[in-house]
Amino acid sequence: MSGEIPGDRIAIEQLRYVRLGTPDLATAVDFAQRVLGLQMIDKTDEMVSFRSDERDYTLVYWRGEPTEQAVGFEVRDMATLERAAERLAAHGFKATLGTAEDAARRKARSLLSFDDASGNRFELVVRPLNSGWRYFPSRDAGIKGLEAVALRSTSVARDEALWTEVFNGEVRDWVGDAAYIGFDAVHHRLALHPARKAGILAIEYAVEDVDLLMQNSYFLRSAQVKCVDGPGRRPTSGQLFLTFVGPDGMLFSFVAEGDKIAAGTGRRPRQFAKTRKSFCAWGSDCEVPEFL
Amino acid sequence: MIKLQDVSYVRLGTRDLEGAGEFATDYLGLEVSERGRGSLYFKSDEREHTLCYFEGDPADQVVAFEIGSRGELDQAAAELERLGHAVHRGTAEEAEQRKVRDFIGFNDPTGNRIELVWRPAHSGQRYHGTRDAGITGFSHVGLCSTDLARDEAFWTRVCNARVSDRIGDAPLLRIDEVHHTIAMFPSKKPGIQHINHQVESGDDVMRSFHFLNERQVHMVFGPGRHPTSSARFLYFEGPDGMVFEYSSGVRSIADELLYRERQFPMDPKGFCKWGAKPDIKEFQ
Repeated sequence: MSGEIPGDRIAIEQLRYVRLGTPDLATAVDFAQRVLGLQMIDKTDEMVSFRSDERDYTLVYWRGEPTEQAVGFEVRDMATLERAAERLAAHGFKATLGTAEDAARRKARSLLSFDDASGNRFELVVRPLNSGWRYFPSRDAGIKGLEAVALRSTSVARDEALWTEVFNGEVRDWVGDAAYIGFDAVHHRLALHPARKAGILAIEYAVEDVDLLMQNSYFLRSAQVKCVDGPGRRPTSGQLFLTFVGPDGMLFSFVAEGDKIAAGTGRRPRQFAKTRKSFCAWGSDCEVPEFL
Repeated sequence: MIKLQDVSYVRLGTRDLEGAGEFATDYLGLEVSERGRGSLYFKSDEREHTLCYFEGDPADQVVAFEIGSRGELDQAAAELERLGHAVHRGTAEEAEQRKVRDFIGFNDPTGNRIELVWRPAHSGQRYHGTRDAGITGFSHVGLCSTDLARDEAFWTRVCNARVSDRIGDAPLLRIDEVHHTIAMFPSKKPGIQHINHQVESGDDVMRSFHFLNERQVHMVFGPGRHPTSSARFLYFEGPDGMVFEYSSGVRSIADELLYRERQFPMDPKGFCKWGAKPDIKEFQ
């Protein structure tokens, strides 16, 4: 990566949404409502969106291939979006400005999409819709909002550099080569895990507290949802976590607590060993190869 | 009124002293403080011992409470005798075995063997567990009761216990600001129903859950959280079927005047607010 690109790094305002293709929309809708506990917002034959917090939606399932996935981030305004396109191009990434229709489908004013070196698809949106009505879920899972996304990366160093050089991300910790990248006070919003192929590894929703996390744990068990990791505590972020399998093999997590990182404290990223103990401080069982 | 200051120790008979010792150290995480002839003493906190296993009948179980002065111990003996309890004055040798200056023994109305002790020994050396279970100390016992109303009256009128909450008719009793030091549970026979050690944090409860589960220790309840005391808990089975509990975050009742006990249902929801279901017959 070139360090000579002029101008400031592009500020990410928020992790905004995840879009997932699925051949079986009905199963995905049932999972998102009954198991995850999200609130259904829009439903057409082609797509369904779900709310988890004050934002209009944070999860979209649409009729398509499960490999067609995108993670959406918000940038402040059109000027930032244009600058992002230039900066991405200067770093060798091909960014495509979405049509007005594409942006409208995402309930945003403008849209720019690009792939990282691994082939993970990202979207930048300007002025995505918030909801004037509060989130009212179908079951009381205690969800506070979309917290983070874990990605598989075939080229962690290059993918890491994208977020720290083009954008204003900071590596908060490493476990082996896996990088936890943050943009705000939350320990991380993106986690890049070395893998043989790209794709979203896990979509993580924050729940209120340890009680909700454990209540969800017992609920998922009784609903015969396959839990593949946790409940446990991450030594890196301090988060409690519980990871389970959703439609098309996609992993979802509930997380709670976690260290807050204050700006300007000079905190340095820490390197943890690539062992199971760096992923769970409780000694929980795990079936996810990336977390072993 | 008999003023109980603290719960002191538990004495448990066992036919397999070696096995019990292994469980107490390798699994439970206590520290051996002394190997006696036919007995093993364990430390869990700043006290000289809080658990003693001795060669004998596993039905032979004792729980001890500390009394403030020898005068109060004498008064307690007189009061218990007046109420028709046979009181045993501990001999010097028996007191030595218990690491106390003096004690009396009697049966509560259900038939649980209780000892009241004066000046139990503290230790100059701090507790250092065999494994890092995060134990901060022996904290309470569950006692079997064949008549909950009668036994509640004994502990609250003859002794100084107060009801903190009830699960069905089962009272959780405090003798200081800790939510409960004695928990009574319905049963057909006397005995210690469970033995509780506090651990530092909820993390320790979960770590022990995975540690013990991996070693095929029989889990009987949890991990969970009590709606009564707000403590996070884990119950598992030890030697001779005795149930041990780890818990963390037990509620403190600071305001004796304003606190009112609450009624909880005798069903899984009364025992756990996370949704765990007990595999303990006294909790069903």
